[in-house]
Amino acid sequence: MKWFIVVCLILSAILYAAQIEIIFWTHEDPNRTPLEERYIQEFEKMYPNVKITRVTYPSAKIREVVLTAFAARKGPDIFNMEIQDAYPYIVNERVAPVSLSALGLKSYDELRQMYVEGTLDAVTYQGKIYGLPLELTNWCVFINKKYFREVGLDPEKDYPRTWEDMVRISEKLVIREGQILKRRGFDFRYPYYLTFLLPMVEQLGGSLFSEDGKSAIMNDEAWLKVLRFFKEWGPNGKNLGSPTYPAARKEFNKDNNTVAMCLSGLYQILRINAENPEFYASNEWMVVPFPVFENAVKDVRCNYYGHYYMVNAESSKEKQEWAWKFIAYMLSHPEEYLLEVGLIQPRKDFVESDTFKNYPYSKVFLEDMQKAHIVPLHPKGPQFEQLIKEAIESVMLTTTTPEEALRILKKKANELLEEE
Amino acid sequence: MSIEKKKALWGFLFTVPALIFFAIFNIYPMFYAVWMSFHKKDLLSLKPPRFVGLANYAYLFRSEQFWNSLKATAIFAAGTFVPMVLLSLTFAALIVTRKRLQKFLQMAYYSPAVLSSVVAASIWLLMFDPRGLANQFLNFILNTKGVDYRWLANENMLRLATIVVYFWKYVGYFTIIFVAGMASVPRSVHEAARIDGANKWQDFWYITLPLIKPTTLLVCVMTTIQCLRTFSTQYLFVQGGAPLKPIDVIALSIYNTAIRDHQIGRASAMSVLLLLIIMSLSYLQMRVSKSEEVSY
Repeated sequence: MKWFIVVCLILSAILYAAQIEIIFWTHEDPNRTPLEERYIQEFEKMYPNVKITRVTYPSAKIREVVLTAFAARKGPDIFNMEIQDAYPYIVNERVAPVSLSALGLKSYDELRQMYVEGTLDAVTYQGKIYGLPLELTNWCVFINKKYFREVGLDPEKDYPRTWEDMVRISEKLVIREGQILKRRGFDFRYPYYLTFLLPMVEQLGGSLFSEDGKSAIMNDEAWLKVLRFFKEWGPNGKNLGSPTYPAARKEFNKDNNTVAMCLSGLYQILRINAENPEFYASNEWMVVPFPVFENAVKDVRCNYYGHYYMVNAESSKEKQEWAWKFIAYMLSHPEEYLLEVGLIQPRKDFVESDTFKNYPYSKVFLEDMQKAHIVPLHPKGPQFEQLIKEAIESVMLTTTTPEEALRILKKKANELLEEE
Repeated sequence: MSIEKKKALWGFLFTVPALIFFAIFNIYPMFYAVWMSFHKKDLLSLKPPRFVGLANYAYLFRSEQFWNSLKATAIFAAGTFVPMVLLSLTFAALIVTRKRLQKFLQMAYYSPAVLSSVVAASIWLLMFDPRGLANQFLNFILNTKGVDYRWLANENMLRLATIVVYFWKYVGYFTIIFVAGMASVPRSVHEAARIDGANKWQDFWYITLPLIKPTTLLVCVMTTIQCLRTFSTQYLFVQGGAPLKPIDVIALSIYNTAIRDHQIGRASAMSVLLLLIIMSLSYLQMRVSKSEEVSY
């Protein structure tokens, strides 16, 4: 009996030692959690020596949690963040290149062939690929048809095609009590200025950086027009919206007469269903493309951003291999990610599948995405976004003129660019 | 070994764990921050920190953003310090002179202090929403209709909003400290004053106030330190859509420099400067108050 217990103890110690634990940090997404928990169970069943621990953090928090963990060299084995936040991890060699053997591939070209052209560029660095896309997201305009009809507009015909339309229609839709907006026609998605505002500037011929990347805030006229547009939009102008009101996309789901249009991704559809199934089923909402200015010189739509799964370069080689294997397993279910979470994986076979084509409004999003590009990736991206935020909010909320705001923005952005 | 020495030794032994804890989690990071402030280091980079001497400090003194942070912190501290000390003293005086409901009032004043700062700021964020209670209240009081007082948009209103949240959260905490200070003044001193003909006001002004000088000093020092280190209210307000510049207090600027910009050396230099400011102000307050003169 004694011997039996000793053998059992030794065996369990060996088994325990052989078990590999993969720590997986991701942002909260109520629709994605049950799906990925199921993938974990399935994967653990296939490979009993692997244990995956999935930990979620709020979207606003994950950036700093991952950063501090990596700074202390205690980062998770797998994580994902918006690509503009994750990009410095690639440049600083904190993430491991995709393991081709774990994916059963022979070359990076073979991997590139699996995805829509250009969608792996954001994670390609010095010839290697450092992440696999969980989702690529662009934003279009969600419309509550009921409020359109209420003010005598036909949503199918009168939806805003240009930003000038957006102002006109919003003025009809808005309900004010004195200076307070009881219902907004539309409002922007503050403070994600690199995502929605830069394309507006680009439509008018401007850009964030010069082609050689040595100067910032190009084409004053384009920037000035956008700054003037936002001054008019804010409380000091036509008072149609402001960053100090609750996020329009959250209020949109409630269908409570507080906002008629908002800017969001395809995933919003399932969030409407989760939060307000009655509104979802009512057929009283629709999605239209991202508007362009009337005198636009370029047809650019809302920038898209991506969440890519990445693997910690400091995890052991064995863990890295298992981590990529697990990521590949999760991502081999793009239909489920779309149908249950509303996420678009840019895999060629999937984008061409009937599942994707038949998904509500997928065509609107895909057509806009084809006219868009990814958010600018720069190690100082968040700092540039902050400078744009300061400029836009100074014209919207204070008495700063667009000319003055542009002068400050240009000066600071170029100083930031020159800084070592 | 004498009994006194034995007692002292045991006393020391019992404090050792706390000292070790304090040294690891407070003293070491402090010295590390000072060391790091002379280096350039990207938080994500695996390269070792590069010694840059006083370059981080020189950068800060040239930086418009750092001076704006100092200004924002000074405005917040000045706007919070005076009402906080005066009103917590007043509330404490009101509580100790009550014959009934003393415990209830203490609890009521103290209750916001037990709330997490994040929760408190989130609640107030809802109230400062243009359609929220703050505008409704002001419109009711001032008999106006539909006026947006722009709590989170106008620079001065935004500063006032952060002060209001902070004041609401901590006034009860300092009130309780004053209540404890007032309770420690011997009853016989008040009785002697009354026998000598002092009225309530004179008793408070000439007896209570001078005798709670150490408490007043403690509250002043603590309020100053807390005001200079304020962070969560401003952080959440900015997350909620408020402009950064008017409320970009030093602690928030340190956070952004380290977490957003990954410049840990520069952020360390900012925290060293903040430490020096706090220490100088605390020293100044102690010198001015001369608290050691208080005796019964």
